[in-house]
Amino acid sequence: MSQVVATRTGTRKGAGPRPYKSRVGSLKSLLPLLPFLAFVGYFLVFPLVFIVRDAFLGNDGKFTLDNFVECFKGVYGHSFYVSIRLSMISALIGAVAGSLIAGAIVKTGSRTRKAIAATASVLANTGGVPLAFMFMAAFGTEGLVTKSLKALGWNLYAGSFTMFSATGIILVYCFFQIPLMVLIYSPALENVKPELREANDSLGGTRFSYFTRIAVPLLFPAFLSTSLLLFANSFSAYATARAMTAGTLPLMPLLIGNLVDGNVVANQEHLGHAMAVSMIGVSIIVMGIYLAVLRFSKVRS
Amino acid sequence: MKRKLNYVNYLVLLVASAFFIFPIIAAAEFSLRANGATTHNFSNFQWAIQQDGFKTNLGVSFRLAILTAVAVLVLMVPTIVYLHLGGARWKRLIEFICLVPLVVPVISFALGVATAFPVFLQSTVYELSFLYVIISMPYTYRALDVGLSSIPLLTLVEASRASGASMRQTLLFVIVPTIRSAVNGAIFLAVALSLGEFTLAVILHWDTFPTWIANISQGHILAAIALSVLSLVGAWLVVLVFAILPKSFRTNKTQEAAA
Amino acid sequence: MTTENRVSVQLKGLRKVYGDAVALENFNLELAPGELVALLGPSGCGKTTALRILAGLDTDHQGQIIINGKDIAGVPANKRNMGMVFQAYSLFPTMTVIENVGYGLRVRKVDREKRRARAQELLELVGLGSMGNRLAHQLSGGQQQRVALARALAIQPNVLLLDEPLSALDAQVRTQLRDEIKRIQVEVGTTTLFVTHDQEEAMAIADRVGVMRHGVLEQCAPPQEVYLNPSNVKVAKFVGAMNLLPAEIVSATELKVFGHTIALRASEAGAPTGKTGMALIRPEQLSLKLTEGRGPATATVATRTFLGPLTRIAVRMIADNSVLYVSMPSSQALQFVEGSTVEIEIHAKSVLLDA
Repeated sequence: MSQVVATRTGTRKGAGPRPYKSRVGSLKSLLPLLPFLAFVGYFLVFPLVFIVRDAFLGNDGKFTLDNFVECFKGVYGHSFYVSIRLSMISALIGAVAGSLIAGAIVKTGSRTRKAIAATASVLANTGGVPLAFMFMAAFGTEGLVTKSLKALGWNLYAGSFTMFSATGIILVYCFFQIPLMVLIYSPALENVKPELREANDSLGGTRFSYFTRIAVPLLFPAFLSTSLLLFANSFSAYATARAMTAGTLPLMPLLIGNLVDGNVVANQEHLGHAMAVSMIGVSIIVMGIYLAVLRFSKVRS
Repeated sequence: MKRKLNYVNYLVLLVASAFFIFPIIAAAEFSLRANGATTHNFSNFQWAIQQDGFKTNLGVSFRLAILTAVAVLVLMVPTIVYLHLGGARWKRLIEFICLVPLVVPVISFALGVATAFPVFLQSTVYELSFLYVIISMPYTYRALDVGLSSIPLLTLVEASRASGASMRQTLLFVIVPTIRSAVNGAIFLAVALSLGEFTLAVILHWDTFPTWIANISQGHILAAIALSVLSLVGAWLVVLVFAILPKSFRTNKTQEAAA
Repeated sequence: MTTENRVSVQLKGLRKVYGDAVALENFNLELAPGELVALLGPSGCGKTTALRILAGLDTDHQGQIIINGKDIAGVPANKRNMGMVFQAYSLFPTMTVIENVGYGLRVRKVDREKRRARAQELLELVGLGSMGNRLAHQLSGGQQQRVALARALAIQPNVLLLDEPLSALDAQVRTQLRDEIKRIQVEVGTTTLFVTHDQEEAMAIADRVGVMRHGVLEQCAPPQEVYLNPSNVKVAKFVGAMNLLPAEIVSATELKVFGHTIALRASEAGAPTGKTGMALIRPEQLSLKLTEGRGPATATVATRTFLGPLTRIAVRMIADNSVLYVSMPSSQALQFVEGSTVEIEIHAKSVLLDA
């Protein structure tokens, strides 16, 4: 008679069969994934490898760090600051406004919510020329909103405001940042059960204590992680910025675009690559924080 | 959670609605201007639509959208199905790979493509489709993954195989119909992305509908605005279509969960 | 509508391991053409594993699978022409009932008209002739399993495989459906393997019952045989209720319980060693008699459980406070009131010993 240890097999009541666990050499189980991996290898990994490689190439074709040095100087270095600052502000505004709106929407009925979700997905995808022109039509010097506000006595352009500045861009970006926040943050809000509110009230808490002690700590991870997403979104945005400023604002994507178009300083063929790699670097850092926050929040909840 | 909205909520919604509606109305008003803003008619729209560029470039973008959608389905569905069946050990790796496009800014990716690809592969505009598949991966992966997780996939596949079906037949007759809404979601994402994508197209010097609008704007700003309004309306319609279409099939799993 | 292809099935020397755990060990089972064999055992005993290996859903094993003399171990699941009914609801949610039933024919490229006709035929067979156009979620659990059965039979399978098909159903539906399954199986005549953990189910419908524990097939015999002549202690304890009575070993073939000598049935474990053990006796092999005296077989009536035609009486032995169960026809049980003193009589001819 054989020695038999209690197994993990067998049926569980009411459940289906268990998933396969291939034992035949783990590499063989990779086989069906080859088409996918080949596709990704060619269309994703390949370009990335090249761009990283080229970032370290000098004009003479030899390895150098000069490109990166140039990156942090002059208008290029300035663009780091402008891009990051703009993205942070855009993310902040988008997050706060978006969470307020999401807070209101969460209280409506499910049909309204669906309609709003559909609208939000359209708005979140708007960008480029259409978006730029919509805002020019509204907030430009001849814009509808500008004119209406002038009639009410408020001249938007009294100061140094112009749509072609970082401020203008932040304003325009709100158009897709806020819906994005609403879309991604709403599920977190929906998970805040009314029982928590009731528990707070029954224990003698106030609205203030509910917010500070219960709601905010619960929602903070989701809020923070979505804000980071907004940051990355704004940081990478190109089409809208280009449409609005024709490449004159020192934003990192715009500068890269210029370098590609050939409006470039001579002797710096690979500066664009270094800039592009730097952008990836910033993104990775942001994503790293995002994942850490996500993991932290999973551990806690 | 259905609670009453307080006045702060209403205020917020009011301001938000205004913020989003005004630019649309403004653009619509501009697009209807004719004769130096003296009258309003559809002449800008008519002009824009009659341009050769309109038909050709819209056609290009449509074809790109279709090709992208098909490529997404052909590539992602079998892959993710496999991850849910025998390939579970690789799930985290593939998930990670699908998230990479989120980390790489499109402009960087575009530059990478421009540098990397040998010339011959850059000779067709349809290379954009495959790139669109890549940048849509984070979203299409999630949509399909969630869809496949919500059905009793293993039981259905085994039932199909026991009935004599090959894997291909199982995919076509059983799996895809059962995750219809997830598939629709993935298609929608792919199509929406393709129709509106600008960065890759412009960096790689291809003419698509969005780049054409940008070009038009140099000389004919009102027409460009008209086209912008059109594309917004078009996007709305696509979303509406996809919102109405999908029938969610209540499998027993969801039924038991509800019961 | 009988099947033309009654096949014989032989599972030979099956062995399956999951990492360190052995799911099946030297598993041998034969099914005669048209026979319904039930594999019975607790969770984890390997019964489902054996079924899935036969179905081809599990290919990582050792041993042979012989159908009508041919080893099909290398044949993929979808070419084995076996019909399977799963424990979990497995109807395809996007197809109507009739499309579900016709699925096996559809993938075999049978044309639409013929498919529908055959599917309808089978729906009639399982008693759901009018439900063809419904969707799966509109049917009750029992109805869904009937459709699953119809679907499995539509392709005229060589073997019908049923993996605990009734486990997810209500008790009432279960009994009803189980008889239906038997009726249909007899009518169609397909060789069938039925896996379950429910004894009553297995006993009620199987031609032979295979009792499994820990990956080993302990005994495979007609239900009466398994119940009345369990081949070893494990089977005896698993199937039906058993009392354990202290016994004194007299010889290799006899023991003494309560002073009476009873024959000791040889079990596969071999002759007993030692002086004492526990004799295995069924509740219906014991009877009670009201008594005044005291003896080793005296007990007091603790509880009476009325089960309809039978009553099960729990008695507490005065000697060592252990509890025994005695079953008898309910009419006889009336005299044994709680608290009364009784004497236990044994009517077993031969018993197994648990050493």
